[in-house]
Amino acid sequence: MSLQEHYRSQARELLAAGAVKMVVGYAEGTTPERRRPVFITEPEECSRLVLDARCRTNLAGYLLREGLLSDGREIAVYLSTEGVRTINILAAESQLSSAQVRILGFEIDRDEVKAMEGKRAADFSEAILAHKERRKKQAPDELAAKLEAMNAAERFTFWQGEFSRCIKCYACRQACPMCWCRRCVVDNNQPQWVNTSSHTLGNLEWNLVRAFHLAGRCVECGNCGRACPVDIPLHLLNRKMTGEVLEAFDHYPGMDEHQEPALASFRKDDPETFIL
Amino acid sequence: MSEPFEPKIVAFVCTYCTYAGADLAGTSRLKYPSNVRIVRLPCTGRISPMFILKALQKGADGVLVSGCHPGDCHFDHGNYHARRRWTVFNSLLQFAGVPEERVRFSWISAAEGRKFAELISEITEDIRRIGPFEQYHALIAETGSPAPL
Amino acid sequence: MARIGVFVCHCGENIAGRVDCSKVVLALENHPGVSVATEYKYFCSDPGQEAIKKAVREENLTGVIVAACSPRMHEATFRKACAAAGLNPYLCEIANIREQCSWVHENPDEATRKAIEITRSLVEKVKRNSELHPIEVPVTKRALVIGGGIAGIQAALDIANAGGEVVLVEREASLGGHMAQLSETFPTLDCSQCIMTPRMVEASQHPNIRLLTYSEVEKVEGFIGNFRVRVRLKARYVDPAACTGCGDCMQKCPQKKIPSEFDCGLGKRTAISTPFAQAVPNKPVIDSRYCTYFKNGKCKVCEKVCQTNAINFEMEDEFLDLEIGAIVVATGFQVQDTALYGEYGYGRYADVVTGLQFERLASASGPTAGKVQRPSDGAEPKTVVFIQCAGSRDPAKGVPYCSKICCMYTAKHAMLYAHKNHEAESRIFYMDIRAAGKGYDEFTRRAAEEDNAGYIRGRVSKLWEENGRLVVRGADTLLGRPVEVQADMVVLATAMVPQPDARELAKKLGIGCDDYGFFSEAHMKLRPVETATAGIFLAGACQSPKDIPDSVAQASAAASKVLSLFSRERLEREPVIARNNEATCSGCWGCVLACPFNAIEKKDLTDRSGNVLRRVASVNAGLCQGCGTCVTFCRSNSIDLAGFSEKQLFAEVMGL
Repeated sequence: MSLQEHYRSQARELLAAGAVKMVVGYAEGTTPERRRPVFITEPEECSRLVLDARCRTNLAGYLLREGLLSDGREIAVYLSTEGVRTINILAAESQLSSAQVRILGFEIDRDEVKAMEGKRAADFSEAILAHKERRKKQAPDELAAKLEAMNAAERFTFWQGEFSRCIKCYACRQACPMCWCRRCVVDNNQPQWVNTSSHTLGNLEWNLVRAFHLAGRCVECGNCGRACPVDIPLHLLNRKMTGEVLEAFDHYPGMDEHQEPALASFRKDDPETFIL
Repeated sequence: MSEPFEPKIVAFVCTYCTYAGADLAGTSRLKYPSNVRIVRLPCTGRISPMFILKALQKGADGVLVSGCHPGDCHFDHGNYHARRRWTVFNSLLQFAGVPEERVRFSWISAAEGRKFAELISEITEDIRRIGPFEQYHALIAETGSPAPL
Repeated sequence: MARIGVFVCHCGENIAGRVDCSKVVLALENHPGVSVATEYKYFCSDPGQEAIKKAVREENLTGVIVAACSPRMHEATFRKACAAAGLNPYLCEIANIREQCSWVHENPDEATRKAIEITRSLVEKVKRNSELHPIEVPVTKRALVIGGGIAGIQAALDIANAGGEVVLVEREASLGGHMAQLSETFPTLDCSQCIMTPRMVEASQHPNIRLLTYSEVEKVEGFIGNFRVRVRLKARYVDPAACTGCGDCMQKCPQKKIPSEFDCGLGKRTAISTPFAQAVPNKPVIDSRYCTYFKNGKCKVCEKVCQTNAINFEMEDEFLDLEIGAIVVATGFQVQDTALYGEYGYGRYADVVTGLQFERLASASGPTAGKVQRPSDGAEPKTVVFIQCAGSRDPAKGVPYCSKICCMYTAKHAMLYAHKNHEAESRIFYMDIRAAGKGYDEFTRRAAEEDNAGYIRGRVSKLWEENGRLVVRGADTLLGRPVEVQADMVVLATAMVPQPDARELAKKLGIGCDDYGFFSEAHMKLRPVETATAGIFLAGACQSPKDIPDSVAQASAAASKVLSLFSRERLEREPVIARNNEATCSGCWGCVLACPFNAIEKKDLTDRSGNVLRRVASVNAGLCQGCGTCVTFCRSNSIDLAGFSEKQLFAEVMGL
């Protein structure tokens, strides 16, 4: 049985038995290459569930829709390792209880989709640890390497070009499973720390603040980059932050649900080579 | 002939250490360039990265962020939290193309009046050398209007 | 509409000599929101302050900027003047144009320009200042003292004698702590029990002291003046009200071979016992780990012999909730595990003992009734080797710090031994002699000069048994050659270390520890008995290694801090504190983690029927110290800091 079929039947059983009230998964999209999230509550609808290498979206963020988990019942959700890490972070930040999240785990390896064993976020700790080790050794991608090789002025010009295209649609925020503040800092106008106008300065400020707020929290799922209508390589900023907290504080976001946030904790011997 | 370039520098400091260090530089009558404007905060823990962005928006060519040495924080560990934020934000700014000479971080205790005076001189000199932050100024100009007070 | 007054001070020539104050006034008087701008020679003088007060009243000012010296100098002065004129003092800010302007810049034009900019940005800030009022909290005039050693007893007595109520919590079954274990005390050689027991009795009988022995602090909540403390009263299985302390139960208890903790394992005790004969209260407890009844379900001999029916095997731990105004932590120390030092043979050779064990051997109330005997065969040793710094000042294996008391007590041991046995010979291996203290250096010299203590400067490398004696090999670094000493007994001056559960207690109390686990003072020099948490004070060796005089002095200092707190009905605290916007808080608790003072609590928001809708952060005004670390953490800008608010700082920066 393919993994798609296997998970369809699992989803069906879970719904039929009343173990979960909903399954959040993937369905066919508007074009053959696209997959879109689907929210299934009836066992007979489970045949709509799709699972293949095109299922890239991190679905964890949907669990935070106001009131969805407030009845204490469980929801099953298709999650990759990034998704499971998201659950851990959301649990660590008290946004949900991991006991309410029944995981249908999968991993995409090139064009193949593989099962990941486990039901609860805590069952995936080995896989997450392996990801951390891999991430430590991972070289920057081509564009990131190119940027690192530039001087400051060139980098500034690069980002100026990218951010000049930003239209402040906040799709990146909407798509990000970590952007769950009841009120985003940009929506606070007393004082207005981030310029709301969509000029390059305001766009730069917005994107820097977003990257800072995600430092030590971003799981690099890529939702923001895929959502950006003008194709700004947002992942570069987030990857830079993830690399920094990993190197400086040995912090890999979402290891488990008790992990303290990188920016609300400290060690007395944290590195400080840049401080005069 | 145009006037020689005088940079605008904004310093965000904690009141217990660096602000007191700056006062000591004054009582010791040490001399340093007048380019720096000091914003006093209760603790480095209160210094938000937003302050740095706003200083740049107001046309600062350089920013200094400074507080108590590790272990000396009046609030026990505000500066340890600050250090983590600085590590991350410093790396982010550099990745975004803000030259590292423009945003500096330091520990200056209440006894280090001399270090304060010397550091301000050094930073001012560095920024005089690299010139105004024209790339950022161009973005400010593009906004069309000065930010509201 | 803002009506700000700007007052530019000349400070004689100090400011006016460099800064053109008239230009500053000129630049500010037409600034939006400024009603009056004026200059004067000395605004801190009486006429200067009067001028400010007059302007506040006549111009009906909503804010004041005094451009003068550092706020660290005269902020309080000018705020007081404003308050006297009816303006909330927190609506007054100081522009520092002396220390950070006129005194450090030579060019008058530059200095003037800078003074104008500094003043202007603060005008922008003060426009957004709001009225703040000191936070008043009531004070519960009852102190909790944790630890019934000499430090805790001293603190408790000082507070109680001044009329304060005290709850003294001791986890062992008796008061006394380590001092009760000592034989004689340096540098006067008076008997420890003789000076200690009267204090123990006084504390137990004091009308203002409630003594809770065999009890531990379970939970601490609240803040200065208003702590809520839960104490666990451990099950004693003996009703202290009924028990007369006759001791029949101890006589008859069949479990007689339990190593006595008080005697450091050198003596034996029963399962129902008091820690020592002079215990206060002198009422035994049953140690359920050893009691035959608890192990096998049969025995109850003690119950049978007890004539007052004080034994109760059904007893359980009880909890006591207390309202407390101030806490003195006096939990003392432990001696380091000497097994770390294989080369000294501790644990391998019975006749290698720790300093504390030697105290018990030398003590008249000890297992040998004060006769120094070898643990192995009971023989009287002829030669005793003392090894100092057996753990202290050894970053590699022990602890890097000096334990402070070992030089003194080793000299004392050599003396006591010489007094008990005139043939005796002592050899002391030492690194340095640290005898700073009243009468201390004279004391160590007396040991060497009158009591036959032979000091060898050097470390011991090896120790082994040969023909029933111990051979100690070390180096004499003064002579530059190896030495070997044949000894009958070896005494190790082990390091003083924090209590093993010190970090746990620190967490309960919300106070800090250093790298070793000693509790952290608020400031090493200027606030040595306070912790960073208001209302919690330190006494004795729980803070760092200390001898008895230092512990007692610190205990009295802590007591005086408590008493000065208790001298007021209500406590006024700076209103520069954080506040949370519950509407926008998402309850991620990053602020809770980041707060150095545990001042942020989780609060339930409920609907009309009391169902919890969500949980948000709530700042405890009594605990918040106003650092603002939480504000910077909060991604949604929900928390703000009064006096340094987001609006104020935004305006200040944008005004530059």
